[in-house]
Parts: sequence; C-alpha cells; structure tokens
Amino acid sequence: MKVLIVGAGISGLFIAYELVQRGVKDVTVIDSSYPGSGATLRNLGCFRTSFTSPEHVVLLKESLREWFALKDEFGFKLERRGYLWVARKPETLEGFKKLVDFHHQYDVPTRILDVEEVKRVEPRLNTKLVVGAMFDPTAGRMPIIENFVNLYIKVKKLGVKVVPYTKVIKFIPRGDRVVAAETSGGTVEFDAAVVAAGGDSRDLIATVGVDVPIVDVPRHPYVTEPYAETLRPALIIDWDTPGSPHITQNEHGSMILARDLEDTPRASIYSQRIDAVPHILKPLRELLPFLSSVNILRYWMGYYDMTPDHHPIYGPVTPYENLFIAAGFSGHGMMMGPVTGKLIASWILDGRPYIDIAKNLTLERFKTGRLVKELAVIG
Amino acid sequence: MGREVSKSSNTVIVCRCNDVTADEIRKAIEMGIDDFELLRKYLRLGFGPCQGRSCIMIAARMFARATGRGLDEVLLNYKVRPPIVPISARYFIKGVKS
Repeated sequence: MKVLIVGAGISGLFIAYELVQRGVKDVTVIDSSYPGSGATLRNLGCFRTSFTSPEHVVLLKESLREWFALKDEFGFKLERRGYLWVARKPETLEGFKKLVDFHHQYDVPTRILDVEEVKRVEPRLNTKLVVGAMFDPTAGRMPIIENFVNLYIKVKKLGVKVVPYTKVIKFIPRGDRVVAAETSGGTVEFDAAVVAAGGDSRDLIATVGVDVPIVDVPRHPYVTEPYAETLRPALIIDWDTPGSPHITQNEHGSMILARDLEDTPRASIYSQRIDAVPHILKPLRELLPFLSSVNILRYWMGYYDMTPDHHPIYGPVTPYENLFIAAGFSGHGMMMGPVTGKLIASWILDGRPYIDIAKNLTLERFKTGRLVKELAVIG
Repeated sequence: MGREVSKSSNTVIVCRCNDVTADEIRKAIEMGIDDFELLRKYLRLGFGPCQGRSCIMIAARMFARATGRGLDEVLLNYKVRPPIVPISARYFIKGVKS
C-alpha cells in the first residue's frame, strides 16, 4: 500500500509514524516548505486535557497518554506544571465551578483555588485583582522544536520519505477515488492520501470540489529575553480580559505572551502587528507587575487554522473513499499529534476510527449542521 | 570562512547569544537534521538578541558544506524578526489603554 501525506507538520509525521507501525511500507510526506514550517513550530507548546467538550477531553486524554508513553523511545520532553485560569470577577469563578464539575466527569482533576491558594501556585500574581482561579495540575508544556525534530528524525529512520519544498497543486480524481497528486515535483500516485496541511488543506481539497471550512486566523506571540525561572504554571490565562491574554515561560527562560486579538483572516504570514504588543502586555502587566521591566526580544506570527466549532476535522473526504483529512486544529494540533496519527491510520486501514467519538469530527458535520458544542472556549 | 570551525573542537563558539559551539552544529547535522531551518531552530541560532548577526552565516556555510547545497538555498527561509534589538516592555505600555 502506498500512502501520500500532504503536510510534514506534527500531524503528518504522527500519521506517517502510525502507518509504519501498522505495517504500511510506502509512506511519503510532502510539504510546500520545510518540515514543521506551519503551526507546528509557531505554537506556544502548551498542552492540557481540560477542554469543555467530550470530544476534546476524550481525544486529548488519549493523545497525552500517548505523548508520555513515547517519551523515552523518542526522547520527548514534557513537563506538567499546570494551567492557571485567573478570574477577576466573582461570576467568572462561578462559571469555572461548572467547568470543574464537567472535567470531573472525565477524571480531569481541575480544581477551584481561592486567593490564598492562587498565591501559593504563583506568588508573583497581583492578587488584589484576582478573586480566584481554576487550576489544572495535569496540563503542561513541551519544547516543541526539540520534540518535533526527534519525531522527524525517527520517522525518517523508519523509512518514511519526507519531501520538503514541494507543493501539491491538485488531486486527480477518478470516479469515487483520487488516484494521484500533481505536485511541483511531478505526479505522485498513491492508494490513499491524507491532507494534513492546516489552512492550506482547504485550497487543496477544493481542487476535487469539496468545501473545507477552515480559516487561517493570525496570532502574534511575543517572546522576552531569558530570565531565571519566574513563572511556576505552564500557562497563566487572564480569563476576564477579552481575547484571554496568556503567558508561558519556556525551557530556556523566555516568557511568551499572546492574546487572541481581532485580525484579518488569511492575512499574510508576514503582516506584522507591532501594535499588538501593548494590547497583550498591558492586561498581563496588571496581573504580573514585573513584566514592566522585561525586554521584548522577538515577535513572530502564526495561524490558528480555525473551524466553525473550533474542533479539528478528521476522517474521509466524502465522496472520495481513499482521501482523508486531519486539519483545522484551531490551535490544538501539537498536543493532539499522537491521537491524530492513530485515528487517521485506523481510518485508512480499518475503515473506522479506533475511538468512536472521533466520528463526530468528520467533514459531514458541516453539512448536517451537527457542530460540536463546547461549554466555553478557553485559551 | 574561518578554517578554525572545521577543526573538531568543543570550544569554538559560533553563536555567542546561546553559546552554541561548532561541534554542536556538526553533531546535529550528523544526528540527521537535514534542513537548515530545522537545524537553526533546534540549536536556537538567531534566537538571541543579535538575531543571528554573528552566527547565521557561519552555521549556514557549515551546513552547506556538509550537505553539498548552495548557500542561497540553505538560507531561503531565514528571516530576521522584529524588533531588531530588544526593547523594554515599558516603552510599549506608556499611555496605552488596554
């Protein structure tokens, strides 16, 4: 069996890895740029299971179990330092209580912290502005570049062919199958194909007449110069400020600051927004006053490949029986990598996903209108 | 291109911001990193305050020589990102409403 995967990011490489694990001999991954060049090497590297839809919670629990299970074999690094969702208003804390009840149904051990407990988790927080918080001790962060490079080297050693700087222009359909892809490096034939190319998946799948509702939404993270260990939680989220400004400190001591700001969808990846800095900094500086004296080192831009319900699109691209999609992760693709690999491999080889709930995430849902509902979209 | 970086040595520092040595660059290439952007990001070359002013050309030449590729091909995706020098957060916040 010959499988073509479009997109050499975290999803594409985990799909390739799982296919090889299951005995597929001929796996090729094509990318229009360098491996990991999309959202994979542009995200903040944070992970959690404390989502607010059954689909996300079930799949993330499985995905993180797998990240940790592969740790030694791949040399992955992952650190559980917790997520701290800070509430400035009492009513927000009431909302958090409902989320905690939901999480506990799925054995996700989030809890509500009062101001004293918040202080213990993060002594630098200006608790005058804080009424409490929700804390997920199992959430954490990972060094994305190191983990991705380890995965990349591993799949190449396993015999996966990775072809960078090659653009897939269109698929060639024949009846209810797609039989080949026309690329900037020639025509590639295959038995099955997977599109795991973030927002670019939409344009590629449009070449066989299927609409994929993914919009690239620009995000603008800023990174500071490195400092000694300062922030204890993996991520602190200012939940009561619009766009939930958030901050993490990476393995090298740099703090990364970001906020979901209004932006032009599909804006160029190089349309810089220096004006975003104060909007991100100001609310976070209220909560963490020491931020007034840090130095801003660098800025980069990346996309959230957003779907209408902020959940990924997994599974077959109907009506084509051998074309699959894994895209639209809406900011969660890195942490979902391993489960993405196993789901798509099972879909290709067994004709169905190995976890039932993933069936709710097919492309069909946008036709039937059965979108996934979340209690709240949190960071 | 200084000949010193082609000698095996732990002490030749290529990136002064993050203390990356020539040896570490060689080892990363041997480990199987076959793309310059991946190599650069893996070793954090250009991630410091100088944004690669001193290290990138040296590392790119080492990589080009090791892989037999041309320098312009190797540097295709290398981009300097704003700000050019680190700026205190204070300057951004002055008089701005959240």
